[in-house]
Amino acid sequence: MQQHKVTSDGFYYKITIAVIILICVMAVSCCLGSSGIGLRDVITYFTGRGDELSSTTLTIIGKIRVPRTLTATLVGGALAAVGCVMQGLFRNPMADPSVLGISSGAALGASVAIITGLNGVIIFEAFTGAYIGAVAGAVVTWLMVFTIASQNGKYDTSSTLLAGIAISSIMSALITVLMTLHLEQMERVYMWMLGTFSASTPSKTKLLAAVVLVLMPILILISPRIDVLKLGKETAMTLGVDQKKTLALCLGICSCLLAFCVANSGIIGFVGLIIPHIASFFKVTRMRRRLSLSFMTGAIFMVVCDTVCKTVVAPGELAIGAVTSLIGAPYFLFLLMSSRIRGGRERSSV
Amino acid sequence: MILEANNITVSFGKNTVLHDVSHTFKEGKITVILGPNGCGKTTLVKAVVKLHARSGELAYIAQDMYGNIGLTVRDMVALGRYDRTKFLIGESPEDQEHIDRALTLMKLKDKEERIFDTLSGGEKQRCMAARAICQDGSWFIMDEPSSNLDAVHSKLIMDTARELTDKNGKSFIIVMHDVNTAVSYADEFVLMKDGRIIRVCETLTADDLSLTFDTSFRSVTTPSGKSVFYTE
Repeated sequence: MQQHKVTSDGFYYKITIAVIILICVMAVSCCLGSSGIGLRDVITYFTGRGDELSSTTLTIIGKIRVPRTLTATLVGGALAAVGCVMQGLFRNPMADPSVLGISSGAALGASVAIITGLNGVIIFEAFTGAYIGAVAGAVVTWLMVFTIASQNGKYDTSSTLLAGIAISSIMSALITVLMTLHLEQMERVYMWMLGTFSASTPSKTKLLAAVVLVLMPILILISPRIDVLKLGKETAMTLGVDQKKTLALCLGICSCLLAFCVANSGIIGFVGLIIPHIASFFKVTRMRRRLSLSFMTGAIFMVVCDTVCKTVVAPGELAIGAVTSLIGAPYFLFLLMSSRIRGGRERSSV
Repeated sequence: MILEANNITVSFGKNTVLHDVSHTFKEGKITVILGPNGCGKTTLVKAVVKLHARSGELAYIAQDMYGNIGLTVRDMVALGRYDRTKFLIGESPEDQEHIDRALTLMKLKDKEERIFDTLSGGEKQRCMAARAICQDGSWFIMDEPSSNLDAVHSKLIMDTARELTDKNGKSFIIVMHDVNTAVSYADEFVLMKDGRIIRVCETLTADDLSLTFDTSFRSVTTPSGKSVFYTE
Protein backbone atom coordinates (compact mmCIF):
# COMPACT_ATOMS: atom_id res chain seq x y z
CA MET A 1 0.00 0.00 0.00
CA GLN A 2 1.24 3.45 -0.89
CA GLN A 3 2.40 5.49 2.08
CA HIS A 4 1.08 9.04 1.99
CA LYS A 5 3.45 11.74 3.01
CA VAL A 6 1.76 14.10 5.42
CA THR A 7 3.71 17.35 5.72
CA SER A 8 4.69 17.83 9.33
CA ASP A 9 5.29 21.34 10.54
CA GLY A 10 6.14 20.19 14.08
CA PHE A 11 3.15 22.09 15.42
CA TYR A 12 2.48 19.95 18.50
CA TYR A 13 6.16 20.05 19.46
CA LYS A 14 6.27 23.84 19.02
CA ILE A 15 3.04 24.48 20.95
CA THR A 16 4.21 22.25 23.83
CA ILE A 17 7.47 24.20 24.07
CA ALA A 18 5.47 27.47 23.97
CA VAL A 19 3.20 26.31 26.83
CA ILE A 20 6.22 25.34 28.95
CA ILE A 21 7.92 28.70 28.28
CA LEU A 22 4.69 30.55 29.08
CA ILE A 23 4.32 28.78 32.44
CA CYS A 24 7.98 29.59 33.25
CA VAL A 25 7.72 33.30 32.38
CA MET A 26 4.41 33.57 34.27
CA ALA A 27 6.06 32.04 37.34
CA VAL A 28 9.02 34.45 37.09
CA SER A 29 6.65 37.39 36.61
CA CYS A 30 4.70 36.42 39.76
CA CYS A 31 7.95 36.37 41.75
CA LEU A 32 9.13 39.82 40.68
CA GLY A 33 7.81 43.20 41.71
CA SER A 34 8.54 46.29 43.76
CA SER A 35 7.94 44.54 47.14
CA GLY A 36 10.41 41.97 48.48
CA ILE A 37 8.14 38.96 47.95
CA GLY A 38 10.06 36.22 46.17
CA LEU A 39 9.92 32.68 44.83
CA ARG A 40 9.58 31.00 48.25
CA ASP A 41 6.43 33.01 49.15
CA VAL A 42 4.89 32.42 45.72
CA ILE A 43 5.50 28.64 45.97
CA THR A 44 3.96 28.67 49.48
CA TYR A 45 0.92 30.51 48.09
CA PHE A 46 0.41 28.13 45.16
CA THR A 47 0.92 24.96 47.19
CA GLY A 48 -2.14 25.87 49.29
CA ARG A 49 -0.23 26.87 52.41
CA GLY A 50 -1.35 30.52 52.22
CA ASP A 51 -2.12 30.63 55.95
CA GLU A 52 1.65 30.52 56.63
CA LEU A 53 2.03 33.91 54.91
CA SER A 54 1.30 37.37 56.30
CA SER A 55 -1.92 39.05 55.15
CA THR A 56 0.10 41.72 53.25
CA THR A 57 1.99 39.04 51.32
CA LEU A 58 -1.27 37.21 50.59
CA THR A 59 -2.86 40.40 49.28
CA ILE A 60 0.14 41.29 47.11
CA ILE A 61 0.35 37.84 45.53
CA GLY A 62 -3.38 37.09 45.25
CA LYS A 63 -4.78 40.49 44.44
CA ILE A 64 -1.95 42.22 42.59
CA ARG A 65 0.70 39.93 41.08
CA VAL A 66 -1.38 36.94 39.94
CA PRO A 67 -4.19 39.06 38.38
CA ARG A 68 -1.58 41.27 36.70
CA THR A 69 0.37 38.36 35.23
CA LEU A 70 -2.82 36.64 34.07
CA THR A 71 -4.11 39.87 32.51
CA ALA A 72 -0.80 40.35 30.65
CA THR A 73 -1.02 36.72 29.42
CA LEU A 74 -4.61 37.04 28.21
CA VAL A 75 -4.21 40.50 26.67
CA GLY A 76 -0.93 39.59 24.91
CA GLY A 77 -2.40 36.38 23.54
CA ALA A 78 -5.66 37.96 22.45
CA LEU A 79 -4.00 40.96 20.74
CA ALA A 80 -1.62 38.68 18.82
CA ALA A 81 -4.49 36.36 17.83
CA VAL A 82 -6.63 39.29 16.64
CA GLY A 83 -3.66 40.61 14.62
CA CYS A 84 -3.19 37.17 13.07
CA VAL A 85 -6.88 37.00 12.06
CA MET A 86 -6.80 40.54 10.62
CA GLN A 87 -3.70 39.81 8.52
CA GLY A 88 -5.29 36.61 7.23
CA LEU A 89 -8.73 38.07 6.52
CA PHE A 90 -7.44 41.22 4.82
CA ARG A 91 -4.52 39.33 3.18
CA ASN A 92 -2.35 42.22 4.25
CA PRO A 93 0.79 41.80 6.37
CA MET A 94 0.41 45.39 7.60
CA ALA A 95 -3.08 44.82 9.09
CA ASP A 96 -3.30 44.95 12.88
CA PRO A 97 -6.04 45.22 15.52
CA SER A 98 -6.17 49.02 15.13
CA VAL A 99 -7.46 48.90 11.53
CA LEU A 100 -11.06 48.37 12.63
CA GLY A 101 -10.97 51.50 14.80
CA ILE A 102 -12.01 49.44 17.86
CA SER A 103 -8.99 50.52 19.95
CA SER A 104 -9.59 54.20 19.15
CA GLY A 105 -13.31 53.80 19.90
CA ALA A 106 -12.54 52.18 23.24
CA ALA A 107 -10.02 54.93 24.04
CA LEU A 108 -12.62 57.58 23.20
CA GLY A 109 -15.18 55.89 25.49
CA ALA A 110 -12.64 55.76 28.32
CA SER A 111 -11.56 59.38 27.70
CA VAL A 112 -15.16 60.60 27.90
CA ALA A 113 -15.58 58.69 31.18
CA ILE A 114 -12.37 60.16 32.63
CA ILE A 115 -13.16 63.73 31.53
CA THR A 116 -16.76 63.68 32.73
CA GLY A 117 -15.61 62.37 36.10
CA LEU A 118 -17.33 58.98 35.65
CA ASN A 119 -14.00 57.21 36.18
CA GLY A 120 -14.33 57.64 39.94
CA VAL A 121 -17.67 55.83 39.88
CA ILE A 122 -17.27 52.18 40.80
CA ILE A 123 -20.11 50.48 38.98
CA PHE A 124 -19.63 46.88 40.07
CA GLU A 125 -16.82 45.59 42.27
CA ALA A 126 -13.67 47.09 40.70
CA PHE A 127 -15.19 48.11 37.37
CA THR A 128 -14.59 51.84 36.97
CA GLY A 129 -16.37 54.24 34.66
CA ALA A 130 -13.38 54.20 32.28
CA TYR A 131 -13.65 50.39 31.97
CA ILE A 132 -17.33 50.49 31.09
CA GLY A 133 -16.70 53.49 28.81
CA ALA A 134 -14.02 51.58 26.91
CA VAL A 135 -16.22 48.51 26.34
CA ALA A 136 -19.16 50.72 25.30
CA GLY A 137 -16.91 52.77 22.97
CA ALA A 138 -15.57 49.62 21.32
CA VAL A 139 -19.04 48.12 20.80
CA VAL A 140 -20.44 51.36 19.36
CA THR A 141 -17.43 51.67 17.00
CA TRP A 142 -17.81 48.09 15.74
CA LEU A 143 -21.52 48.63 15.10
CA MET A 144 -20.69 51.81 13.15
CA VAL A 145 -18.02 50.06 11.04
CA PHE A 146 -20.32 47.10 10.38
CA THR A 147 -23.31 49.28 9.46
CA ILE A 148 -21.31 51.55 7.13
CA ALA A 149 -19.46 48.63 5.50
CA SER A 150 -22.72 46.78 4.77
CA GLN A 151 -24.54 49.87 3.42
CA ASN A 152 -24.41 48.80 -0.23
CA GLY A 153 -25.45 45.26 0.68
CA LYS A 154 -21.97 44.06 -0.33
CA TYR A 155 -20.20 43.49 2.98
CA ASP A 156 -16.58 42.62 2.09
CA THR A 157 -13.02 43.04 3.31
CA SER A 158 -12.15 46.26 1.49
CA SER A 159 -15.29 48.16 2.58
CA THR A 160 -14.73 47.01 6.19
CA LEU A 161 -11.06 48.04 6.07
CA LEU A 162 -11.84 51.48 4.61
CA ALA A 163 -14.74 52.14 7.00
CA GLY A 164 -12.54 51.02 9.94
CA ILE A 165 -9.63 53.28 8.97
CA ALA A 166 -11.94 56.30 8.49
CA ILE A 167 -13.77 55.75 11.79
CA SER A 168 -10.47 55.16 13.58
CA SER A 169 -9.28 58.59 12.37
CA ILE A 170 -12.49 60.25 13.55
CA MET A 171 -12.20 58.63 17.00
CA SER A 172 -8.52 59.64 17.35
CA ALA A 173 -9.37 63.20 16.29
CA LEU A 174 -12.21 63.35 18.86
CA ILE A 175 -9.81 62.20 21.61
CA THR A 176 -7.38 64.98 20.64
CA VAL A 177 -10.22 67.55 20.70
CA LEU A 178 -11.40 66.30 24.12
CA MET A 179 -7.86 66.43 25.52
CA THR A 180 -7.34 69.97 24.20
CA LEU A 181 -10.62 71.15 25.71
CA HIS A 182 -9.84 69.54 29.07
CA LEU A 183 -6.13 70.15 29.55
CA GLU A 184 -6.38 69.47 33.29
CA GLN A 185 -7.40 65.84 32.54
CA MET A 186 -4.93 65.41 29.70
CA GLU A 187 -2.30 63.58 31.74
CA ARG A 188 -4.78 60.99 33.06
CA VAL A 189 -6.21 60.31 29.62
CA TYR A 190 -2.70 60.13 28.14
CA MET A 191 -1.47 57.73 30.83
CA TRP A 192 -4.51 55.52 30.28
CA MET A 193 -3.86 55.48 26.54
CA LEU A 194 -0.20 54.52 27.01
CA GLY A 195 -1.36 51.23 28.49
CA THR A 196 -0.59 49.55 31.79
CA PHE A 197 -1.35 46.35 33.68
CA SER A 198 -0.99 48.00 37.09
CA ALA A 199 -4.75 48.54 37.41
CA SER A 200 -5.50 44.78 37.16
CA THR A 201 -7.84 43.43 39.83
CA PRO A 202 -9.09 39.86 40.43
CA SER A 203 -12.63 40.70 39.28
CA LYS A 204 -11.47 42.41 36.04
CA THR A 205 -9.10 39.50 35.36
CA LYS A 206 -11.88 36.95 35.91
CA LEU A 207 -14.15 38.72 33.42
CA LEU A 208 -11.33 39.02 30.87
CA ALA A 209 -10.46 35.35 31.35
CA ALA A 210 -14.10 34.34 30.80
CA VAL A 211 -14.28 36.42 27.58
CA VAL A 212 -10.96 35.09 26.21
CA LEU A 213 -11.58 31.47 27.24
CA VAL A 214 -14.98 31.44 25.52
CA LEU A 215 -14.09 33.42 22.38
CA MET A 216 -10.59 32.13 21.60
CA PRO A 217 -11.64 28.46 21.14
CA ILE A 218 -14.48 29.60 18.84
CA LEU A 219 -12.02 31.70 16.82
CA ILE A 220 -9.56 28.79 16.59
CA LEU A 221 -12.34 26.41 15.50
CA ILE A 222 -13.64 28.64 12.70
CA SER A 223 -10.19 29.88 11.60
CA PRO A 224 -9.72 27.37 8.71
CA ARG A 225 -12.51 29.33 6.97
CA ILE A 226 -10.06 32.25 6.75
CA ASP A 227 -7.74 30.03 4.69
CA VAL A 228 -10.62 29.05 2.40
CA LEU A 229 -11.53 32.73 1.85
CA LYS A 230 -8.03 33.27 0.45
CA LEU A 231 -9.21 31.35 -2.63
CA GLY A 232 -11.72 34.11 -3.45
CA LYS A 233 -15.41 34.61 -2.70
CA GLU A 234 -16.90 32.34 -5.36
CA THR A 235 -14.45 29.46 -4.83
CA ALA A 236 -15.06 29.68 -1.07
CA MET A 237 -18.80 29.38 -1.78
CA THR A 238 -18.25 26.09 -3.62
CA LEU A 239 -16.51 24.81 -0.46
CA GLY A 240 -19.41 25.86 1.74
CA VAL A 241 -17.84 29.03 3.16
CA ASP A 242 -19.86 32.25 3.00
CA GLN A 243 -17.60 35.32 2.91
CA LYS A 244 -20.08 37.70 4.51
CA LYS A 245 -20.96 35.41 7.43
CA THR A 246 -17.33 34.47 8.07
CA LEU A 247 -16.21 38.10 8.05
CA ALA A 248 -19.00 39.21 10.36
CA LEU A 249 -18.38 36.32 12.78
CA CYS A 250 -14.57 36.63 12.87
CA LEU A 251 -14.52 40.42 13.11
CA GLY A 252 -17.35 40.40 15.70
CA ILE A 253 -15.34 38.03 17.91
CA CYS A 254 -12.14 40.05 17.37
CA SER A 255 -13.94 43.28 18.28
CA CYS A 256 -15.27 41.77 21.48
CA LEU A 257 -11.80 40.50 22.45
CA LEU A 258 -10.26 43.89 21.67
CA ALA A 259 -12.92 45.76 23.65
CA PHE A 260 -12.07 43.86 26.82
CA CYS A 261 -8.29 44.01 26.21
CA VAL A 262 -8.34 47.79 25.78
CA ALA A 263 -10.69 48.22 28.76
CA ASN A 264 -8.31 46.20 30.95
CA SER A 265 -4.98 47.64 29.90
CA GLY A 266 -5.39 50.63 27.57
CA ILE A 267 -3.94 50.72 24.06
CA ILE A 268 -0.87 48.53 23.55
CA GLY A 269 0.40 48.81 20.01
CA PHE A 270 2.89 46.67 18.08
CA VAL A 271 1.92 43.27 19.58
CA GLY A 272 -0.95 42.63 17.15
CA LEU A 273 1.15 43.68 14.17
CA ILE A 274 4.48 41.97 14.81
CA ILE A 275 3.72 38.83 16.86
CA PRO A 276 1.91 37.05 13.97
CA HIS A 277 5.05 37.69 11.87
CA ILE A 278 7.30 36.36 14.63
CA ALA A 279 5.01 33.31 14.79
CA SER A 280 5.45 32.90 11.01
CA PHE A 281 9.18 32.30 11.58
CA PHE A 282 8.11 29.02 13.22
CA LYS A 283 7.12 27.87 9.70
CA VAL A 284 3.54 27.02 10.56
CA THR A 285 1.25 28.03 7.72
CA ARG A 286 -2.33 26.91 8.34
CA MET A 287 -4.47 29.52 10.07
CA ARG A 288 -5.65 27.31 12.96
CA ARG A 289 -2.07 26.47 13.91
CA ARG A 290 -0.75 29.97 13.25
CA LEU A 291 -3.49 31.42 15.43
CA SER A 292 -2.73 29.07 18.32
CA LEU A 293 1.01 29.76 18.08
CA SER A 294 0.43 33.52 17.75
CA PHE A 295 -1.69 33.44 20.91
CA MET A 296 1.03 31.63 22.85
CA THR A 297 3.84 33.85 21.47
CA GLY A 298 1.85 37.01 22.23
CA ALA A 299 1.16 35.83 25.78
CA ILE A 300 4.84 34.99 26.43
CA PHE A 301 5.98 38.27 24.90
CA MET A 302 3.54 40.39 26.92
CA VAL A 303 4.39 38.71 30.24
CA VAL A 304 8.12 39.27 29.57
CA CYS A 305 7.50 42.93 28.66
CA ASP A 306 5.32 43.51 31.72
CA THR A 307 7.97 41.94 33.96
CA VAL A 308 10.53 44.36 32.51
CA CYS A 309 8.08 47.26 33.01
CA LYS A 310 7.58 46.65 36.69
CA THR A 311 11.15 45.74 37.63
CA VAL A 312 13.59 47.98 35.70
CA VAL A 313 12.69 51.26 37.40
CA ALA A 314 10.99 49.80 40.54
CA PRO A 315 9.14 51.09 42.47
CA GLY A 316 8.18 53.16 39.40
CA GLU A 317 6.94 51.66 36.13
CA LEU A 318 7.73 51.98 32.45
CA ALA A 319 4.91 52.35 29.87
CA ILE A 320 4.09 48.88 28.50
CA GLY A 321 3.63 50.20 24.94
CA ALA A 322 7.19 51.57 24.90
CA VAL A 323 8.64 48.31 26.25
CA THR A 324 6.77 46.10 23.74
CA SER A 325 8.26 48.18 20.90
CA LEU A 326 11.76 48.41 22.42
CA ILE A 327 12.04 44.65 22.99
CA GLY A 328 9.92 43.39 20.11
CA ALA A 329 11.15 45.52 17.23
CA PRO A 330 14.89 44.68 17.56
CA TYR A 331 14.02 40.99 18.02
CA PHE A 332 11.83 41.08 14.94
CA LEU A 333 14.58 42.82 12.92
CA PHE A 334 17.08 40.20 14.14
CA LEU A 335 14.77 37.39 12.90
CA LEU A 336 14.23 39.21 9.62
CA MET A 337 17.94 39.72 8.98
CA SER A 338 18.99 36.23 10.06
CA SER A 339 16.42 34.65 7.73
CA ARG A 340 17.74 36.81 4.86
CA ILE A 341 21.36 35.94 5.71
CA ARG A 342 20.53 32.22 5.66
CA GLY A 343 19.76 32.60 1.99
CA GLY A 344 16.23 33.97 1.85
CA ARG A 345 14.61 30.98 3.51
CA GLU A 346 10.98 30.82 2.57
CA ARG A 347 8.71 32.50 5.02
CA SER A 348 4.99 32.94 4.72
CA SER A 349 3.96 36.57 5.00
CA VAL A 350 0.36 36.20 6.14
CA MET B 1 -26.59 17.12 -11.84
CA ILE B 2 -27.71 19.46 -14.63
CA LEU B 3 -26.12 22.89 -14.69
CA GLU B 4 -28.50 25.54 -15.94
CA ALA B 5 -28.40 29.28 -16.33
CA ASN B 6 -31.92 30.64 -16.65
CA ASN B 7 -32.64 34.24 -17.68
CA ILE B 8 -29.58 35.71 -16.00
CA THR B 9 -29.26 39.48 -16.10
CA VAL B 10 -26.34 41.13 -14.30
CA SER B 11 -25.83 44.89 -13.95
CA PHE B 12 -23.12 46.95 -12.30
CA GLY B 13 -24.80 50.28 -11.64
CA LYS B 14 -26.32 51.42 -14.93
CA ASN B 15 -24.07 49.13 -16.95
CA THR B 16 -25.78 45.85 -17.86
CA VAL B 17 -23.15 43.15 -18.43
CA LEU B 18 -25.43 40.14 -19.06
CA HIS B 19 -28.77 40.45 -20.86
CA ASP B 20 -31.24 37.69 -20.00
CA VAL B 21 -28.81 34.83 -20.70
CA SER B 22 -30.07 31.23 -20.61
CA HIS B 23 -28.18 28.01 -21.34
CA THR B 24 -28.16 24.40 -20.19
CA PHE B 25 -24.62 23.03 -20.01
CA LYS B 26 -24.18 19.44 -21.19
CA GLU B 27 -23.13 16.79 -18.69
CA GLY B 28 -20.01 14.74 -19.42
CA LYS B 29 -18.79 17.25 -22.02
CA ILE B 30 -16.22 20.04 -22.30
CA THR B 31 -18.02 23.30 -23.04
CA VAL B 32 -15.81 26.21 -24.06
CA ILE B 33 -17.06 29.79 -23.78
CA LEU B 34 -15.47 32.08 -26.36
CA GLY B 35 -15.89 35.80 -26.90
CA PRO B 36 -14.08 39.14 -26.96
CA ASN B 37 -12.84 40.88 -23.81
CA GLY B 38 -15.62 42.38 -21.71
CA CYS B 39 -18.42 40.37 -23.37
CA GLY B 40 -19.53 38.89 -20.02
CA LYS B 41 -17.85 35.43 -20.01
CA THR B 42 -16.48 35.74 -16.47
CA THR B 43 -19.72 37.33 -15.22
CA LEU B 44 -21.69 34.40 -16.68
CA VAL B 45 -19.52 31.70 -15.06
CA LYS B 46 -19.51 33.57 -11.73
CA ALA B 47 -23.31 33.75 -11.86
CA VAL B 48 -23.49 29.99 -12.59
CA VAL B 49 -21.10 29.33 -9.67
CA LYS B 50 -23.21 31.45 -7.29
CA LEU B 51 -26.40 29.68 -8.40
CA HIS B 52 -25.05 26.17 -7.92
CA ALA B 53 -22.27 26.59 -5.32
CA ARG B 54 -24.24 24.97 -2.53
CA SER B 55 -24.64 21.71 -4.43
CA GLY B 56 -21.12 20.67 -3.36
CA GLU B 57 -20.58 19.32 -6.88
CA LEU B 58 -18.82 22.38 -8.28
CA ALA B 59 -15.10 23.15 -8.44
CA TYR B 60 -14.25 26.65 -9.62
CA ILE B 61 -10.92 28.08 -10.74
CA ALA B 62 -11.14 31.86 -10.79
CA GLN B 63 -9.30 34.05 -13.28
CA ASP B 64 -7.80 36.33 -10.64
CA MET B 65 -5.47 35.01 -7.95
CA TYR B 66 -4.76 36.81 -4.72
CA GLY B 67 -1.35 37.64 -3.28
CA ASN B 68 -0.22 37.19 0.33
CA ILE B 69 -1.74 33.73 0.70
CA GLY B 70 1.00 32.39 2.99
CA LEU B 71 0.05 28.70 2.62
CA THR B 72 2.17 25.87 1.23
CA VAL B 73 1.24 24.24 -2.08
CA ARG B 74 0.01 21.17 -0.20
CA ASP B 75 -2.11 23.33 2.14
CA MET B 76 -3.66 25.05 -0.89
CA VAL B 77 -4.52 21.77 -2.58
CA ALA B 78 -5.83 20.40 0.74
CA LEU B 79 -8.33 23.30 0.89
CA GLY B 80 -10.16 21.45 -1.88
CA ARG B 81 -11.14 18.87 0.76
CA TYR B 82 -12.31 21.54 3.25
CA ASP B 83 -16.01 20.70 3.15
CA ARG B 84 -15.28 16.97 3.52
CA THR B 85 -12.73 17.05 6.34
CA LYS B 86 -13.69 16.30 9.90
CA PHE B 87 -14.21 19.44 11.96
CA LEU B 88 -11.51 18.77 14.52
CA ILE B 89 -9.48 15.87 13.16
CA GLY B 90 -8.61 17.33 9.76
CA GLU B 91 -7.87 15.31 6.62
CA SER B 92 -8.45 11.56 6.62
CA PRO B 93 -6.12 9.09 4.83
CA GLU B 94 -8.62 9.17 1.95
CA ASP B 95 -8.30 12.96 1.77
CA GLN B 96 -4.51 12.64 1.77
CA GLU B 97 -4.81 10.18 -1.11
CA HIS B 98 -6.85 12.71 -3.12
CA ILE B 99 -4.32 15.47 -2.35
CA ASP B 100 -1.35 13.30 -3.39
CA ARG B 101 -3.08 12.21 -6.60
CA ALA B 102 -3.94 15.81 -7.58
CA LEU B 103 -0.39 17.00 -6.83
CA THR B 104 1.10 14.19 -8.93
CA LEU B 105 -1.34 14.83 -11.79
CA MET B 106 -0.38 18.52 -11.96
CA LYS B 107 3.34 17.68 -11.55
CA LEU B 108 3.65 19.60 -8.30
CA LYS B 109 4.68 16.79 -5.93
CA ASP B 110 8.25 18.10 -5.67
CA LYS B 111 6.98 21.60 -4.84
CA GLU B 112 4.40 20.66 -2.20
CA GLU B 113 6.25 22.36 0.65
CA ARG B 114 6.90 25.60 -1.24
CA ILE B 115 4.95 28.69 -0.15
CA PHE B 116 2.25 29.38 -2.78
CA ASP B 117 3.24 33.05 -3.15
CA THR B 118 6.78 32.08 -4.23
CA LEU B 119 5.55 30.03 -7.23
CA SER B 120 5.58 31.30 -10.81
CA GLY B 121 2.27 32.31 -12.42
CA GLY B 122 1.99 29.00 -14.28
CA GLU B 123 2.79 26.93 -11.17
CA LYS B 124 0.11 28.85 -9.26
CA GLN B 125 -2.41 28.01 -11.97
CA ARG B 126 -1.47 24.32 -11.83
CA CYS B 127 -1.80 24.46 -8.05
CA MET B 128 -5.32 25.90 -8.36
CA ALA B 129 -6.15 23.19 -10.91
CA ALA B 130 -4.85 20.55 -8.48
CA ARG B 131 -7.06 22.07 -5.74
CA ALA B 132 -10.10 21.84 -8.04
CA ILE B 133 -9.29 18.21 -8.99
CA CYS B 134 -8.88 17.39 -5.29
CA GLN B 135 -12.37 18.79 -4.64
CA ASP B 136 -13.70 15.82 -6.65
CA GLY B 137 -16.95 17.46 -7.77
CA SER B 138 -18.79 16.44 -10.93
CA TRP B 139 -18.54 19.90 -12.56
CA PHE B 140 -15.41 21.99 -13.17
CA ILE B 141 -15.71 25.65 -14.08
CA MET B 142 -12.41 27.14 -15.20
CA ASP B 143 -11.92 30.80 -16.08
CA GLU B 144 -8.91 31.06 -18.39
CA PRO B 145 -7.02 28.18 -16.78
CA SER B 146 -4.09 28.36 -19.18
CA SER B 147 -3.52 32.13 -19.45
CA ASN B 148 -0.16 31.95 -17.61
CA LEU B 149 0.91 28.53 -18.86
CA ASP B 150 3.49 27.52 -21.43
CA ALA B 151 2.42 25.23 -24.27
CA VAL B 152 3.46 22.03 -22.40
CA HIS B 153 1.59 22.81 -19.19
CA SER B 154 -1.39 24.24 -21.05
CA LYS B 155 -1.61 20.88 -22.83
CA LEU B 156 -1.26 19.11 -19.46
CA ILE B 157 -4.30 20.92 -18.05
CA MET B 158 -6.42 20.42 -21.16
CA ASP B 159 -5.38 16.74 -21.52
CA THR B 160 -6.32 16.22 -17.85
CA ALA B 161 -9.72 17.84 -18.51
CA ARG B 162 -10.25 15.53 -21.51
CA GLU B 163 -9.24 12.47 -19.50
CA LEU B 164 -11.47 13.36 -16.53
CA THR B 165 -14.38 13.89 -18.95
CA ASP B 166 -13.90 10.67 -20.93
CA LYS B 167 -12.87 8.28 -18.12
CA ASN B 168 -14.56 9.75 -15.04
CA GLY B 169 -17.64 11.34 -16.58
CA LYS B 170 -16.78 14.82 -15.26
CA SER B 171 -18.12 17.95 -16.98
CA PHE B 172 -16.15 21.09 -17.79
CA ILE B 173 -17.08 24.70 -18.54
CA ILE B 174 -13.96 26.53 -19.67
CA VAL B 175 -13.57 30.20 -20.55
CA MET B 176 -10.65 30.68 -22.91
CA HIS B 177 -9.17 32.97 -25.54
CA ASP B 178 -7.05 30.54 -27.53
CA VAL B 179 -9.42 29.52 -30.32
CA ASN B 180 -7.22 26.70 -31.67
CA THR B 181 -6.78 25.05 -28.24
CA ALA B 182 -10.55 25.32 -27.81
CA VAL B 183 -11.12 23.57 -31.14
CA SER B 184 -8.82 20.69 -30.09
CA TYR B 185 -10.68 19.93 -26.85
CA ALA B 186 -14.24 21.33 -26.86
CA ASP B 187 -17.38 19.23 -27.36
CA GLU B 188 -19.53 22.34 -27.43
CA PHE B 189 -18.87 26.03 -28.06
CA VAL B 190 -20.81 28.89 -26.49
CA LEU B 191 -20.07 32.12 -28.36
CA MET B 192 -20.74 35.37 -26.51
CA LYS B 193 -20.86 39.00 -27.58
CA ASP B 194 -22.06 42.17 -25.78
CA GLY B 195 -23.50 40.28 -22.80
CA ARG B 196 -25.50 37.79 -24.87
CA ILE B 197 -25.01 34.21 -26.11
CA ILE B 198 -25.08 34.61 -29.89
CA ARG B 199 -24.48 31.02 -30.92
CA VAL B 200 -24.13 27.50 -29.48
CA CYS B 201 -22.49 24.91 -31.74
CA GLU B 202 -20.51 21.66 -31.76
CA THR B 203 -18.30 22.60 -34.71
CA LEU B 204 -16.72 26.01 -35.04
CA THR B 205 -16.50 27.85 -38.36
CA ALA B 206 -14.50 30.92 -39.42
CA ASP B 207 -17.79 32.78 -39.98
CA ASP B 208 -18.90 32.13 -36.37
CA LEU B 209 -15.62 33.54 -35.09
CA SER B 210 -15.72 36.54 -37.45
CA LEU B 211 -19.22 37.36 -36.22
CA THR B 212 -18.24 36.95 -32.56
CA PHE B 213 -15.01 38.91 -32.60
CA ASP B 214 -15.92 41.49 -35.30
CA THR B 215 -12.78 40.64 -37.21
CA SER B 216 -12.12 38.48 -40.24
CA PHE B 217 -11.15 34.88 -39.38
CA ARG B 218 -10.00 32.28 -41.88
CA SER B 219 -9.19 28.62 -41.46
CA VAL B 220 -6.85 26.11 -43.04
CA THR B 221 -7.08 22.37 -42.76
CA THR B 222 -3.92 20.54 -41.69
CA PRO B 223 -2.90 17.21 -43.32
CA SER B 224 -4.33 15.46 -40.23
CA GLY B 225 -7.72 17.00 -41.03
CA LYS B 226 -7.72 19.50 -38.20
CA SER B 227 -8.93 23.11 -38.73
CA VAL B 228 -6.59 25.91 -37.68
CA PHE B 229 -8.01 29.42 -37.39
CA TYR B 230 -6.16 32.66 -37.96
CA THR B 231 -7.00 36.33 -38.32
CA GLU B 232 -6.08 38.37 -41.33
